[in-house]
Order: sequence, then C-alpha cells, then structure tokens
Amino acid sequence: MTEHPTPFERGLTEVATGRRTLLRAGATGLAFSVAGGGGFVAQSAAAAAARPRTRLRRRRRAYVLVIDGCRPDELDQGLTPRLAALRDGGLAFPRAASLPVMETIPNHVMMMSGVRPDRTGVPANSVYDRAEGDVRTLDRPTDLRGATLLDRLAANGLRTGSVLSKEYLYGIFGTRATYRWEPQPTLPVTEHAPDAFTVQAAIDMVDTFDPHLVFVNLGDIDRFGHSDLTGPLGLKALRRTALADTDLLVGRFVDHLRRTGRWDRSMLLVLADHSMDWSTPDRVVSLARPFAADPLLAGQVQIADNGGADLLYWTGDPARRAEAVARMQAVASTVPGVLATYATTEPSLRLGPEAGDVIAYCQAGWRFSDPTLLANPIPGNHGHPATEPIPFFVTGGHPSLPRGTVSSRRARTVDVAPTVGEFLGLRAPSGGYDGRSRLRRR
Amino acid sequence: MLATGAAGVGLSTLSPAAHAAERPRGSGRTFQHGVASGDPLPRSVVLWTRVTPTAAAAPGSGRGPSVVVEWEVATDRRFRRIVRRGRVRTGPHRDHTVKVDADGLRPDTWYHYRFRLGRRVSPVGRTRTAPPAASTPDRVRLGVVSCANLQAGWFSAYRALAGREDLDAVVHLGDYLYEYGPGEYGYGHDDVDIRPHQPPHETLVLADYRQRHAQYKQDPDLQALHARYPWIVTWDDHEVTNDQWSGGAENHQPGEGDYAARRAQAHRAYDEWMPVRMEGTARLGDGDRLFRRIRFGRLAELSMLDLRTYRSQQVAGALPLPGLDPAVSDPARTITGEEQMAWLKESLADDRAQWKVIGNPVMIAPVDFGAVPRQLIDPVNDVTGLLPADGVAYNVDQWDGYTADRREVLTHIRDRGVSGALFITGDIHSAWAAELPYDAATYPLGDSAGVEFVCSSVTSNNLKDVLGAPPRTASLAVEAAIVANNRHVRFLDFDNHGFCVLDLTPQRAQMDWYVIGDRADRATPVTWSRSLQTRAGSSRITEANGPVQ
Repeated sequence: MTEHPTPFERGLTEVATGRRTLLRAGATGLAFSVAGGGGFVAQSAAAAAARPRTRLRRRRRAYVLVIDGCRPDELDQGLTPRLAALRDGGLAFPRAASLPVMETIPNHVMMMSGVRPDRTGVPANSVYDRAEGDVRTLDRPTDLRGATLLDRLAANGLRTGSVLSKEYLYGIFGTRATYRWEPQPTLPVTEHAPDAFTVQAAIDMVDTFDPHLVFVNLGDIDRFGHSDLTGPLGLKALRRTALADTDLLVGRFVDHLRRTGRWDRSMLLVLADHSMDWSTPDRVVSLARPFAADPLLAGQVQIADNGGADLLYWTGDPARRAEAVARMQAVASTVPGVLATYATTEPSLRLGPEAGDVIAYCQAGWRFSDPTLLANPIPGNHGHPATEPIPFFVTGGHPSLPRGTVSSRRARTVDVAPTVGEFLGLRAPSGGYDGRSRLRRR
Repeated sequence: MLATGAAGVGLSTLSPAAHAAERPRGSGRTFQHGVASGDPLPRSVVLWTRVTPTAAAAPGSGRGPSVVVEWEVATDRRFRRIVRRGRVRTGPHRDHTVKVDADGLRPDTWYHYRFRLGRRVSPVGRTRTAPPAASTPDRVRLGVVSCANLQAGWFSAYRALAGREDLDAVVHLGDYLYEYGPGEYGYGHDDVDIRPHQPPHETLVLADYRQRHAQYKQDPDLQALHARYPWIVTWDDHEVTNDQWSGGAENHQPGEGDYAARRAQAHRAYDEWMPVRMEGTARLGDGDRLFRRIRFGRLAELSMLDLRTYRSQQVAGALPLPGLDPAVSDPARTITGEEQMAWLKESLADDRAQWKVIGNPVMIAPVDFGAVPRQLIDPVNDVTGLLPADGVAYNVDQWDGYTADRREVLTHIRDRGVSGALFITGDIHSAWAAELPYDAATYPLGDSAGVEFVCSSVTSNNLKDVLGAPPRTASLAVEAAIVANNRHVRFLDFDNHGFCVLDLTPQRAQMDWYVIGDRADRATPVTWSRSLQTRAGSSRITEANGPVQ
C-alpha cells in the first residue's frame, strides 16, 4: 500500500486487521462497517463526561440528505415534485448559502461539525499540503480536526450512520459514524456511487441499524452537472435527467420512513453543499502562466485548483510573504475571468492556514484550470460566489417541527449540526458552534 | 361606488377623497396642502406639512411671515398618548413648508401626527415606522404608483389606495408631477386639460416649481393618501423636465436659461415639498442625493434609485434606428453614475435582506420591438418613448439605452449569486412583468437575474389614449408582437391606468395590478386586473390565484 492509501485501500486494511466488521444488510447484501472507536470518539466521550449530562432524545431520528450540487431554483422547474412538496410542507430557507470554499468536502464537514474551516482544518476539496509538498484532496480522516455530530452523538450513546456516495467523503469522515457504508459500486472518473445504490444503502442502514442520525450524500446531480456539456447552453440535459431521477429516489426514502413508522419521529433536513455553474471551453482561467511570468512569483507559488476558486500558496521566503500576497492579488486581478481575490487571513472567510495565502474566485460562466489550461476540462464547476445559493429545508413528521413555513433568515451549511443537535438534544461542542439552529423561527 | 373586477374582486365603496385626513375645524386655510410622512426607519419618520399663515404667504410668492409650527406624534388618534413633540420655524425662505425627522419612535408601530400654528391644528396624519433591522416580518405590503399628470385626469388610483387598510407604505416611482403648461400635455389624443396646471405655463424657476407642487398637494385624493401612509419616493424626469439627463433635457430649450440652475431649483422645491430625506436628512440645502435605502427587517430592503441626475445624455441616433447606435453600449456612458452604481451593488449584497427591491424609475428589462406593425410604431413611441424599428430593440431613455450599465448590474447579480432581486418600475404608462435574462436571445434557456414589475400610470396617457382607440383593440397587436419577440416578458397592458400593490413574504413577492375607468370621471370605478408572483429563489414569474386581501 502507498504511503497515503485511498479510502478503499484503508477499508481493505481494516478488514485485514479485524478492526472492521462486514455486516450483511438487507436484501441487497450491502456492506456496512462499524466504528471501532477512534481517538476523537474517546476524546468526545471524555469531554462529555466532564460536562453536565445532555438530555438526549433517543426516540427521535434525524436524516440529513445532501442533494450534492443542487441549485435552489431547480426545485421549481417541475422536475422534482417530491423535493418541492417536502420543502413546501416544512420550514424552508430561500436565502440559504454554501460557505467558502463552496466545495463538497468543506461544506459536508461544516454540516457535521457546525464550525468553520479555521477550526476543522478543511477549507477546500483540494489544498497544497506544505508538509508533503504536493497538491492533494482532503480525504483522510486525519485531515479533519475536532469532533462532528457523527462521533459526538455516538460518544453519548446514540447510533449514527453515514451513507456517502463519494469516496473522498467516505475517506475524510473515516470511522466517525457508528455505521458506515462504503460507496459501491462507484463509477470510474466520478468516483461516486449512483444515487440508486446510495438510497438503497440508506434504506438498508435505517432498517438494519436504525441510527438516530443518518448522514446521506447523493452525488448524481452534482456529477452529471459537472459533465453536462449542454450546461453552458442552458439546456442541462443530463442534469435535468438526474434531478428527476434523484427526486424519485428521495421520495422512495421518505416513503420508506413513512411505511416503517419512523416518519412521525423524524426530522429530515435536505440541503445542498453548493450549487453549480457552467462554462464553455474558452472561458478558462489559469493563473500558473501569469505567475510564472512574474519575477517575484515565478516558481514560488503553488496552486490548488478548486474549480471556481484557486487557492494560492506562497512557497518562497517567508519574510516576503506579505509582498507576495499583494503581488498574487495584483497579478490575478488582471486575468480575464477572475472575479475577486482575497487574502485568506480575511476574517470573514475563516479559512485557516490550510487554505494558503490567497483565494481567487472566478466570475460566473468561467472556471479555473491550473496548473495548465487542460487540467480542468469539465464544464460544470463550483467554488465561486455564483455557486453559493443552495436549497435548505427542514421537514419531517415529528410534531415539534414547523410546517409550511418560509424564513427570511440566511441558513448556511454550518447550521446543520446545531439544528440536528437541538433536535436530538445534544449540547453544543466545546467552544460552541459557529452555526445556529434553524429550528427557531425568530 | 363599488367596483368589481373580472374575477369578482371588489374594492371598498369610496366617494372621492372619502379617506381624507381628519380635518379639524379651522385648519382648512392654514393647512390647505395637507400633511404627509415618508422614509420610515425603525425609530424615525419624516413628517411634513405646509402652512399658510397669511393670505400673502401663497406658494412660490416668497412672502409671508416667519412662524413657529409645533408638531406632535401620538400612539392614538385622539392624541392622549403623545410620545414626541417639537417646534420648528418656517417662513418664505422655504416656502412655508415644514419637514421634521421625528425620532425616538418605536419600530413597526402605527403613529398619528399633527401640526399646530397658534390655535390652528392640522389634519391628523397616520404613519408607521419600519420593523427592526434584524427582525423577520411575515409580510410587507406596499402601494406602488407612478406618473400622475394632474391635467390628464383625477387621481382615482390614489383614492383607491387611500381606501385600503392593509398597506405599510406607498412607493412613488417618479413623475409625481409634470412640468408642462396647460394645453401641452393633457387627457388623450387632443391633450384636453381635465384640470389645467398652475402656474399656467411650463415650470422653469423655483417659484414655478413651488406653485406646481402646491397645486398637486391640494388634490384631495393625493392628500388623503399622503395622510394615510408614509411615502417612499423617487423622481423621474418630469419633476424637473422631460427626458432630463445630467447636463440637460429634451424639454429644456436654449431660451429657458441655464439647465443646471433650473434643475437645482426643481430639486430645491422637491426637497421643500416632499416627505423625503435628501442627502440622508430632512434638512434643506444640504444636498440632493436621493438614492437611499429603506429596510423592512430581514424580509426586504427597498433601494430607491435616481436615474436622472447622473446619467449621460440619451443617444440621439439616426431615426428610425437609434438603437443601432453603438453608443447605447458604450461603457463610458452611464445611467446610474459611478457612485450610485457602487451603491446599487451594495444594495444587491446577499447578506442584507431577502428581497432586494429596487425602486427603479425606468425599465431595466430589455425590450425588442422587432415585429410591431409599422403603423403603430409612432404611437408606441409617443407613449413610451420607445424607438422601435424593424428588428431593433432599444428605448434609449431607459436601461436599453445604457446597456453597459445594465450588463454591469446583471453580471454582478450572477457573479455574486444574488437571489431576490426585484425591480419595481414606473415611467412608461403601461403595465409589465418581465424576467431579467442574462441572454435574452436564448431565453428561456439560461438563467434570469431577477424579476421586474412595472406599474402603469396614475393618469398619464397610454397607448389607447394616444391612438384614440377603444381599450383592448389596437393595443392588442402591439402587445402580442412584443410578447412574441421577448420571451422574458410575461405580461403587458398598454391600455390601462391605475396602481399596484406589492406584497412581500418570505415565500414569494406578488404584484397586483388595479386599473381605473375614465380618468375624466372623478368617481371612476377601480377594478383588479392581474396578479403575478415570483417565488423566492426562482427569479421567474408565475400566475397568482388572485389579489392579496
């Protein structure tokens, strides 16, 4: 095995060392794994013991469904009647937003942790790892600092489950959930399991283990959006098909909760991690070339391409960092397609040191492709401000939940953990949440 | 009279000016221009009146004594619980107008106010403060009006709005008054003056504008609506003169003096006579910046634009194809001015309020008049200022004539992922609802930046008036052609006058259009016409079941 194994390789190792138990679940025979108790779980348990006991609501069930990459306006195009009905019957937040960097991994981490990247160490999908000297995906369990709902609830004696369609999500959340589904079968290139399999796994997870919290990522809409060549034309043929299919599957999951009597005890929180924007092949930004042409920056900057955002890392003389940050911003701002640049120390971003020194956003209808113009060929991208708006609504059959209500407040992905935490009666973590529970109307 | 719309929606039985402010005995001569309030903030609101202490103190005369006027604000209409009061001096230097920024009030609260000059007491006005900035109101409801030409008829739209009990404020999108003299612009094809303007000539100097404001403020329906609700106003061109721009106007001739001086006097009169904060204050003479924001908690923020004071001159172009003049897209030309453009972008930031309502004096949606029948092109021009031709699509007096600025606004919305952009517009004497496509050529493929709702005129001539045609006859061909050529236009009514009600909730924004009958009939009926809405986050228009009640 390599020095940094893939999630699949790690899974194999766990099986081989006996730390992982494969369970046959449901008619499909899907494989789940059971947490062996990582260090963070023990830490959370110790912390919980030191604080007054939480009054957990053990009869309740919470299901968080992430419709990866879905745009809020897509729920009103007649393709998603089940999702639209769930939204209209619950508490909806039309101003909901993804948080920087508007990518999958950091926003899923914010959902489960309730805190911003400067506290988790996970600001983007792709970062430049200064220690390893390489640009890599943040998909290792050790990349995520601090506790999440998955392990905090488990430490308090509740069962949690993760059903995440993307391998890198399965990777970064590691063994935090009590029960985990390893995405399979995954498609080549997209490295995600189709929603049909993911939803079946979620149903089997519910039937087999009945976790108090199940965290589900449905990747089809995002993955088909990324590759939809008709996206820049506005047609979005693949994407529209995926929306309709996923809607049916969400309906199937909800029907199952109803049929098995769980609905009346449940909260269903549906949201996206980011939305999606499309660009044509001529609307591509590469910062590597202008940086290479700059006397100060040449050879001294590493770029982590996150589709709609580039993270820029100064690797030269630390004493010249401030000068380099200013130069990176100045050079990037002259490149067509660049919307804005910010020093990552900008307090409102709360990105943390893993995000490097400068973040550059592209304009709507553009994408970054670094280090070369051919590095990012896919038309659908996110990470830039145009992809902030997301659907976000709370529904479910539990009588305590609001019904048929719309809020003007601005819900964010970081609000998921405090919302679920409140519903299940879990205290805020040490240091508090950065998000807020959205169960309170005012 | 009781008016019933096509869908059976009735309005309350109202006689003209039935809802005029409660008028104490003896207040008539002294307070003959009524009372008004405007620009509600959570803890303050502008109160306005004008006193006539002596017969000599006629509007625009520059004569009459300096006097002290008292004002009071109470939570009850009998003024048993007075919460604020004060004294203010006025005189001929400000045309005996009184404008007070009453502060120390409670948010989201109805108040009553009145003025005293000696023993004479003004009519009682009613106003309402805005909700707290951090609150989440369930609803905000606004009356929306524009283009009220007194010579063209009675202000029945104001009367109907004054009869409603459900509004929070009234938004006036410009052309509150007109500069023309009698016979120059009136009722219908022959410009009949239902009520001739005073002074009896085009307004050019301060005294003229003061007299014109005074005449409008004596209209009983306008007085009633001012006394009933706080107003939030902006100007379009006729508050100075037709088709004004930063350095001149179509209706400003070389023999009419210096344009800058004329505009400054018109602005001075506006500041004196309107319940508005200019330059952010109720004081006179400290500036004429009119673009400003009024916030209704987290639900909505209204950004009122001034699209006349800073704009470049309209493209003249070569008729009949002025829209082909490449200058319409020249980024050096502007309709907002640089400072206001930056301010507008701030207004569209997503961390402000859910609904970013833009009080927009002239239409922003692109309009292509390509296939309008040739014989109707001139009448369309006459009403709307649009300059159509074969396959060409520009009205050079609205955002179509400043496409670089429009592109900058729409691109900002797209780049920043802004949702809830809602433009409410006046100016063109017709009712429209349009989505705002990033690319009109391929729409509805592609996305929309937001939605625009356009209210019709209170009285100013529309297409059927200019044609002399019966309603819903000749205009139908024009409307059909425009809708066919502009897939983002969802509704168009070239024939009616009236007003709108904009209802904002977290779920959707709905515009109800109401129309009046004959403008020459002071008691003309008012009927509901159409209701459309845009769902939060959609930037698209859908049909509503009916008007809000």
